[in-house]
Amino acid sequence: MSSGATPAIEAQALVRRYGDTLAVDGLSLSIGEGEFFGLLGPNGSGKTTTIHMLATLVRASGGSARVAGFDVASAPVKVRGQIGLVFQESALDRTLSVAENLRFAGMLYGLSRMEIERRGKALLDLFGIADRFDASVGSLSGGQRRALDIIRGVIHEPRVLFLDEPTIGLDIPIRRRIWRFIDGLRQRNRMTVLLTTHYLEEADACDRVAFIRKGKMVSQGTPRALVEGMGRHIVEFESERIDDLLTRVRPVLGNGLKEGPTALFRYPHEDTIALAKLQDELGPLASAMRIRRPNLNDVFLWVHSGTQVLGAPG
Amino acid sequence: MSMLRPITAVLYREVLKLGRQRTRLIASMVRPLIWLLVIGSGFGTVLGGAGELSYQQFLAPGVLGMTMLFAAMLSALTMVYDKESGVMRMLVIAPFAHFWIVIVKTLSAALTALLQALMLLVLLALLGYLHPGSVRIGVLLTALMLVPFACAGIGMLAAAFTKTLDNFAAIMNFVIFPVFFLSGSLYPITQLPAWLKAIAMVNPYTYGVDLLKHALIAHAGGRFAPEFSTMLDVFVLAGFTITAVTIACVRFSGETAFDSVIRVLTGKR
Repeated sequence: MSSGATPAIEAQALVRRYGDTLAVDGLSLSIGEGEFFGLLGPNGSGKTTTIHMLATLVRASGGSARVAGFDVASAPVKVRGQIGLVFQESALDRTLSVAENLRFAGMLYGLSRMEIERRGKALLDLFGIADRFDASVGSLSGGQRRALDIIRGVIHEPRVLFLDEPTIGLDIPIRRRIWRFIDGLRQRNRMTVLLTTHYLEEADACDRVAFIRKGKMVSQGTPRALVEGMGRHIVEFESERIDDLLTRVRPVLGNGLKEGPTALFRYPHEDTIALAKLQDELGPLASAMRIRRPNLNDVFLWVHSGTQVLGAPG
Repeated sequence: MSMLRPITAVLYREVLKLGRQRTRLIASMVRPLIWLLVIGSGFGTVLGGAGELSYQQFLAPGVLGMTMLFAAMLSALTMVYDKESGVMRMLVIAPFAHFWIVIVKTLSAALTALLQALMLLVLLALLGYLHPGSVRIGVLLTALMLVPFACAGIGMLAAAFTKTLDNFAAIMNFVIFPVFFLSGSLYPITQLPAWLKAIAMVNPYTYGVDLLKHALIAHAGGRFAPEFSTMLDVFVLAGFTITAVTIACVRFSGETAFDSVIRVLTGKR
């Protein structure tokens, strides 16, 4: 992706220690200019800490990183001049109006009032809330506030934008709207975007994604390649005696994943006739069987469970 | 010149907030007048005057100082509010070194204090508490430059070591009140018992009140007279401000403290 040109984000063996725990454990990343990159992983896997190290807010305990051409340790102020960061929680002042928040944010980057007003209104318009320019932040809906927080993060037109769970806690229509908005931003400014999210279907739009677990890189690639790496099919069984089922199926399909009353297996072959036979053999032990194409959620589930424990399918 | 940006941004927000909280501004004018009229008359009957100076006139520098102390402390403590509400996120991600946040907030707190002091001075003059002949303009200007910064320095120190606004009551009880009561604002410190006097002597705010006495009631003789030289006052106030702001800067941008700020801001663990 980043061959030739300098990468927008380059991390070498980043480490962050909190007391005895390793939040990030030797993470290396290379993200090209203009790339849309998703950093995925379960809670506490080190996504936010990684973003904060790259954004110069948390010092790395080891390793190094360059963002927009500057070293995060030796030139943090230069890095901050090139990036935007949308935190998991709001950075807005709820006692001020939309316009006042944007003015405050823009002034911190040395933008003139006129420039802030022009850009702010254009960005609000992109989200369809240009009429709320003078409204108080307290009167905005949750989705509008999130959009304003993102606008706050891009008002200075950063080269690299970090989005830490930008759609967390929002309902699906508003999440889609936020994504269309971010898409629009990327097309306007050709920003590099590093995203963390829990909603895997949102990461489908990324150029590349990386899964991390316990601060370590588990796998990375295009969403398509990762999904294809899961094999042709995912087979789901439902059963009241799920452990018995896992034991019975293991010789045929290898190790599976247990998700409540459901067992998931990876099935590498296109031909599914063998599966019908298997269902016959299981009889009432399997109350239902579904065969479907894998998706990023499956990649996530397998990463989350730790592939080591489960082993690769045959 | 790039530092003009955060300075104007933070001041812009402070002015907006001050304009919105008119009650805070009114309260800041009413509080000293209550002290002057109610406490002043009450204690005045017990303590009496000294020479031509009534106890109420003796209180004028003290309440002027109090206005600056409260204004600067409250403004400085918005650092803690900003940490809690998340607005600090906008400041820590902005392109300047983090110690500037402390300096800019100090400046903003000092200017808020100065503004309220000027308003109160007008009120005091109108109410006849200022002797036109006895006000030493040069000293007053010096005091109005130094005292707000020293008060802001006390506030920034308190803010640097406070994680949540829940501690606000504690700060009121263990910082603002002792600093005010043990400062010579209400009574000369020379008459205090030795141990209280010792505390008053190490209280930097004492020297601010003393400088204000030099400015407003220098003509007072006897027990209401200023207790230190103006040189000592200026030296202590300037020295304390520089030390306090430096400690707050170090504390705020220091590795461990800073990480804890970030963790509070990001809700991580």
